[in-house]
Amino acid sequence: MNLKVKIGKLKFSNPVTVASGTFSYMKEYSSIAEIKKLGAVVAKTITLNAREGNPSPRIVETAAGMVNAIGIENRGADYFIETKLPELKKLGVPLVVSVSAKEDKELISLVKKLNKAKGIAAIELNLSCPNLKHKTLVAQDKYATYRVIKAVKKATKLPIIAKLSPNVTDIVLIAKSAERAGADALSLVNTFSAMVIDIDKRKSKIGNFTGGLSGPAIKPIAVKMVYDVAQTVKIPIIAMGGIMNADDALEFIIAGASMVAVGTANFVNPSAPKEILAGIKSYMKKNKIRDIKKLIGSIKKG
Amino acid sequence: MIKSQNTYKIISNKQVSEKFFHICIDAKSILKKIKPGQFVHVKIDDTLTPFLRRPFSIHRADSCLEILYEILGEGTKKLAKKKKGDSLDIIGPLGNNFSAPPEGTKNITIVTGGVGVAPFLALTDILKNKKYNITLLYGGRNSDYVFSLKSFLKNKCKVFISTDDGSVGVHGRVDKFFKNISFEDAFIYTCGPEPMIKEVQKFAVKNKIKGEASLEEVMACGIGACLGCATKTKDGFKLVCYDGPVFDLEKLDFNANGKCKCK
Ligand SMILES: Cc1cc2nc3c(=O)[nH]c(=O)nc-3n(C[C@H](O)[C@H](O)[C@H](O)COP(=O)(O)OP(=O)(O)OC[C@H]3O[C@@H](n4cnc5c(N)ncnc54)[C@H](O)[C@@H]3O)c2cc1C
Ligand SMILES: Cc1cc2nc3c(=O)[nH]c(=O)nc-3n(C[C@H](O)[C@H](O)[C@H](O)COP(=O)(O)O)c2cc1C
Ligand code: FES
Repeated sequence: MNLKVKIGKLKFSNPVTVASGTFSYMKEYSSIAEIKKLGAVVAKTITLNAREGNPSPRIVETAAGMVNAIGIENRGADYFIETKLPELKKLGVPLVVSVSAKEDKELISLVKKLNKAKGIAAIELNLSCPNLKHKTLVAQDKYATYRVIKAVKKATKLPIIAKLSPNVTDIVLIAKSAERAGADALSLVNTFSAMVIDIDKRKSKIGNFTGGLSGPAIKPIAVKMVYDVAQTVKIPIIAMGGIMNADDALEFIIAGASMVAVGTANFVNPSAPKEILAGIKSYMKKNKIRDIKKLIGSIKKG
Repeated sequence: MIKSQNTYKIISNKQVSEKFFHICIDAKSILKKIKPGQFVHVKIDDTLTPFLRRPFSIHRADSCLEILYEILGEGTKKLAKKKKGDSLDIIGPLGNNFSAPPEGTKNITIVTGGVGVAPFLALTDILKNKKYNITLLYGGRNSDYVFSLKSFLKNKCKVFISTDDGSVGVHGRVDKFFKNISFEDAFIYTCGPEPMIKEVQKFAVKNKIKGEASLEEVMACGIGACLGCATKTKDGFKLVCYDGPVFDLEKLDFNANGKCKCK
């Protein structure tokens, strides 16, 4: 059975990875042997300088999901490269580093720092985080999307994965822009802008006032977005949005995704990525599919 | 992908007051690892309601894993319906633990309210064998929140109870008892509603008494991955699930605790 997938020149042993911000490697708790089996690992988004993050409460549970406003809390690029990177490299799984910035200049300096660090397989551009105090997001503007990706491509030889926001009128337009600018792959989707109100206090239940919805609640919308984009662009898609089990993951693959990322599910069931990989294998066996590539975008119409 | 995730059988699950239940779980493999103050992260069932796990302090880790819980919403209501022999998916033990009182400590005061009392049985299981005077101050909203504190008496604690409506014990809040207690060479442990911890901090700082508080924050992962349970301290944001739940009482920063300042 062939589970290998490719993104640009990069090869991954299987299509299962984790979504940025939902996986953290903790020696005390994690079993390295199982993490090694993943196709890739995507780290939490980093910024050039440290960010404190949003006030609490940062999360609230909703029907079949959760709303979060973490605020990209991180200790900055230098700390990441010195402290986190060596540990993540040791996992022996292709490592995708997710980056974000308020300004192009900042982003380029960040990418240049990563160029010098060893052991990074690809960079994911988080163009879509809804929690920073922007007027619009880069990923909500096809021109800005083009400009930023183009600039980053110029600054690095590492493959670039553009992570898009679902909070747009037509995600296909943005995806096309990203492809034209030279993105090697797309990550679809980030969280959906959302809020939850405490009716007794008549206040938001989120410290940042608004946040982003993730989990099974968003899955059908995410599947449609992946399908629409897969019909239009040629670059591979890494899909995410409410994947809890192998069936969910298979929906995305059949809709056109080359890889699937497990996000919120990690919080509920830390074994989800492992179980999803096993489930994809047994589905392929049952349906006599020898190569995962035969499954990608295999949706039938009519 | 988690070493400390496991499924265990329930040994018993009983109501101990109008609002509180007590569950015993056959988690032999982790009992010896557990330190007082740690918590477990419980998947109530395989449905999507509740969606996330629920964190509970470890009440006692002796012959089984004990949890004392308050019926609050969907998750705890479902937990209360579980029967002997049912299984529970648990991650844990998680978080840090209460530290031993500093050398020279004579008087230990535990200030708690409601289900915040939970972690202190495990703590007094250890402290009872050392030569401390232990006082437990327990505040409840009303009689629905008062359950038998016999096990604390057995652990050589002097117990004082108050309720907001005076239905059990003294009428009013637990800080009423402060004036009757010796705080010489003292150490304070506290866990409960935030306003109570805030009062305790004020009192401790004013009287130069050291102590520790166990905090609560809404959690998703429980293992330091999502950064969702951050709480503001005088040293910046700390994760309640990973850096805590136990914090130096002095270090808590209630003014800046970021409880929604937005309109
Ligand atoms: C480290 C830690 C240890 C805990 N130990 C215990 C324990 O030993 N016994 C016990 O009964 N409870 C404990 N809790 C609280 C417990 O996790 C919540 O009561 C439980 O999650 C409620 O779930 P539910 O589905 O019944 O209620 P929900 O429907 O989730 O909530 C009902 C209401 O309670 C509020 N709420 C939910 N979770 C919390 C929370 N963590 N803190 C404050 N308010 C909350 C919600 O906003 C809502 O208004 C602990 C929490 C933490 C973080
Ligand atoms: C707590 C939390 C933190 C997240 N942090 C990031 C982040 O730092 N960068 C990013 O690109 N996406 C972040 N995301 C979005 C996820 O990577 C993912 O795109 C989204 O949650 C949808 O997938 P899911 O429903 O499987 O979680 C975060 C999501 C959650 C729930
Ligand atoms: S609950 Fe996820 S970091 Fe604490």
